[in-house]
Amino acid sequence: MNALRVEARIALAVARKDALAELRGRHATVSTLFFAAVVLLLFGFALGPDAARLAAAAPGFLWLAVVFAGILAVNRLHLLETDDGALEQLALYPVPRRAIYAGKALGGFAVMLILGVLVLGAVGVLFAVDVIGAWLPLLTTVVLGAVGVAAVGTFYAGVTVRLRAREVMLPLLMLPALAPLLLGAVKATSAALAGDPFGELGAWLQLLVAFDVIMIVAGAATYGYLLEDG
Amino acid sequence: MPQTTIYVSPRSLGAPDTRPPAVATTDLARLFAGSPAVAGVSLRIDAGRAVALLGPNGAGKTTLLRLLATAIRPSYGRASVDGLDVDRNAALVRERVAYLSHATGLYDDLSARENLRFAAAMLGTTDATPRVERALSDVGLRDRADDRVRDFSAGMRKRLALGRILLGSASLVLLDEPYAALDADGMGLVDQLLVAWREVGVTVLLASHSTARLDALLDGRVTLERGLVLAAGGEGVVSTPPSLPGATRPSVAEVLR
Repeated sequence: MNALRVEARIALAVARKDALAELRGRHATVSTLFFAAVVLLLFGFALGPDAARLAAAAPGFLWLAVVFAGILAVNRLHLLETDDGALEQLALYPVPRRAIYAGKALGGFAVMLILGVLVLGAVGVLFAVDVIGAWLPLLTTVVLGAVGVAAVGTFYAGVTVRLRAREVMLPLLMLPALAPLLLGAVKATSAALAGDPFGELGAWLQLLVAFDVIMIVAGAATYGYLLEDG
Repeated sequence: MPQTTIYVSPRSLGAPDTRPPAVATTDLARLFAGSPAVAGVSLRIDAGRAVALLGPNGAGKTTLLRLLATAIRPSYGRASVDGLDVDRNAALVRERVAYLSHATGLYDDLSARENLRFAAAMLGTTDATPRVERALSDVGLRDRADDRVRDFSAGMRKRLALGRILLGSASLVLLDEPYAALDADGMGLVDQLLVAWREVGVTVLLASHSTARLDALLDGRVTLERGLVLAAGGEGVVSTPPSLPGATRPSVAEVLR
């Protein structure tokens, strides 16, 4: 129990540090949000002015925008560690590596949650879908989706942080791994917006929970190896 | 300005002669892309000693320090800190080692105080707030505590990184070129730290090109050349020739050639 408390304290310290650094470099947050908005607008332009088609495609747009912007956000959180040998110093602290993973993922989750809620609101406005009427299942979906993107993103950002081509490699690795989450989140969002006529919402949310648990466990178990410099 | 007495907080170390060697390596080697940076170092440094690691660029000083700090893993051979193998007991070794590398490991967007608070949390420092304030004072950065590290000079960054070491309770301190980038006051600070660590029985291994200013502060010296020990001497320092196939200690004539 005491060990768990220590790990929680370390995770919170890492997340707090990331949040502080992120808030200081606000341009990164703003540019991530702006990127998500541009993605939504471009998808809208691509489908044309047909309101029914836009509304039907809105769940897919929502999650593609969240995932694309999420890649930028988790990459940014790991770029902090490239400051003057910070990653090596982080790896040398006498703390459990899974606590560092938990802290980075927690910071990523906070960013993804804010991003998800804002993009959900933007989808409601841009594509004229009623996000207020189904706010509880939509918020649940966003929370579960944010956990999954943060868990996967933290792991793969750890894989790529030492690479020169990290900006290219991160989406290449992350996007295939996020395919089950994308499927589950889009289906859950569609079901929630439609009032769940076929009673499938629960099953999709369960898929998201299972995805999140698997990714968190796998990430926590392996993240320590990523911090090693060979 | 630094205070006259610097606060260092060692773990319960015990008398130096009852402790295992602070550093013990046997045929320690590390290759990078097939080339040995450390090529078979067998070395013992007794606890509580201050030892300089000398040698030209590329001699293997930094690689040896990084191996002992668990930043990288050995390719061959063994190394231990306080009797703990650096490869198999890396987590326990990290509790005992503080490492100052060329890079400071600081976060540019955080202030000096925030950087030290984060380090205190990661090191499990008790009484973190007063210890952070004391460390800022000791390294002469109290007046700049709330400034972002991004705006610091190289020397100020080095001071802050030294302050981070003061928050822990390491029994072995590894310093890679600690005087680099420091002004006269900063160099005096490093001297004070060496004295303070020595007084409480902390072992210090310090990589440097020269020990001109360190004569009175050191117990021993180890000179490296092409990844091997060229010479070792002083109190509490013993080196044996490498036994790895093909790894032979270079002769003085070879080195001078």
